Amino acid sequence: MERGYWIRSKPVYSALLWQQKATAHLVMVEGSAGGLAAIKLFQQMQPLQPTTVIYVKDKVSDADYSVALRKIVPDDLLVFETKDEAMIALQKYLPNALMGLRIYVAGSERFMWSIAQIAGEYGIDDADIYKELTGTLARSVYCVHCKTITHEAHTNIKKCCGCGKMLFVRDHFSRLMGAYMGLMVDAESPGVLPEIEEIYP
Amino acid sequence: MSIINVTVANVEQVTPLVKHFTLVKEDGSLFPAFSGGSHIVVAMNINGRVHRNPYSLMGSPEETGAYHISVRKQEKSRGGSVFMHEQIKVGSKLQITYPVNLFALEKRARKNLLIAGGIGITPFMSQIEDLNRTGAAYEMHYAYRSPEHGAFSDELSAKCGDKFKCYVESDGDTLDFKALLSKQPLGTHVYVCGPHPMVVALIETARELGWPENNIHSEQFSAPPSGDAFKLKLSKSNLEIVVPSEMSMLEAIEAAGVDAPYLCRGGACGRCELEVLCTDGPLIHNDHYLTDAEKAAGKKIMPCVSRAKCDLLELNI
Repeated sequence: MERGYWIRSKPVYSALLWQQKATAHLVMVEGSAGGLAAIKLFQQMQPLQPTTVIYVKDKVSDADYSVALRKIVPDDLLVFETKDEAMIALQKYLPNALMGLRIYVAGSERFMWSIAQIAGEYGIDDADIYKELTGTLARSVYCVHCKTITHEAHTNIKKCCGCGKMLFVRDHFSRLMGAYMGLMVDAESPGVLPEIEEIYP
Repeated sequence: MSIINVTVANVEQVTPLVKHFTLVKEDGSLFPAFSGGSHIVVAMNINGRVHRNPYSLMGSPEETGAYHISVRKQEKSRGGSVFMHEQIKVGSKLQITYPVNLFALEKRARKNLLIAGGIGITPFMSQIEDLNRTGAAYEMHYAYRSPEHGAFSDELSAKCGDKFKCYVESDGDTLDFKALLSKQPLGTHVYVCGPHPMVVALIETARELGWPENNIHSEQFSAPPSGDAFKLKLSKSNLEIVVPSEMSMLEAIEAAGVDAPYLCRGGACGRCELEVLCTDGPLIHNDHYLTDAEKAAGKKIMPCVSRAKCDLLELNI
């Protein structure tokens, strides 16, 4: 990639930090790396305000931080086996939440932007959700041809699960869809593909 | 900047200090449509000197046959509000700018919390029309000194029903910001317009309670404070002028015939920003636009409300 090349829409993620000015905190993390990010956050300090943690366990890794998290937030930890269950828990949590709630998430982009979409329905701007990318750099790709979103893209080129076209995964990101733009890579010369490399491990 | 020539069609004394003016276009045509929270700038020729004051548009944004503004007579008026109160009658001619909105409602808000102090009620008068039309959730909280100063209180009560709450200071009613802001659902946006200390207190309370900056909206039109006179060098125009103590830099620049950009004339929008090339004394920043770091750096100034305690200030215009 060209040096200095930068796409404005591509999200920038950083390590989680408590927002001291708050009335409540919600921490949502996914997988062992996300669990570790939550523990790291609590090692900064134990917030004064009520804090809820939603933890989705890792399916592949052995590392399970639910025991460690249970010690930190004994009464306010919700542990789930799947992302979908966690999203249902979020949908139950948000309707009663008040302004002053700060939301922190750590996990894959797919996990974080699923949360942002649900929170968006409650009027929360995605910029006000603190995000730490952990576990994988896998991208979700939005096919500009058939409008299907293909998840788990690890390579520069990914086959669209909707129309089967080979898509070049761009850096242009849609916050609304939580996905990167994907364009047919061999439209000019059908079948002629650049080398497929894993760049989002 | 485009100008609309208007005639005053009606003047009404609303409270001992507030007058309501109805403006129609001189040529009888319709005004441009606007959105709730917009303001116009009224130009007044007072003894040969042009004063320009921003006023919020109050009527329904859908009724463009007339524009409505309200003016509070300021105790320390620089001339504008007193002129509007004492000289402007039915049939008077004025010039106004096209509407500009620096205090727009956030359309994605789940709830809108409107907070006014005194004459700060004016931008909400048009916003409420928008909110009632779209059916968006809102509450209007209006604080004022004493019953006779509650301009438009009855009208608001009729339009907003139980969404309206007023706080009369002389009756001992106080608006507790912390209590109010502590019980708002997620996705609430707060809008405040009123005296400077009230606006600052509301913003600080919201921040302390963890409200994101994007959910806090405020508008205050500061009148340009007076100060010592100083000389201004306009480098591009190759002019040296004096800023008298009762005039803002922007007004002095305009009086010299130099076309300077502006929108709000109240230190809020940042449109009039000018580059400071050189000064032999400290700048006095009175705007709400520049960050503290920018103010300290001293490279930019808002000539609508700010000035300098110096002999000579050079600006890049």
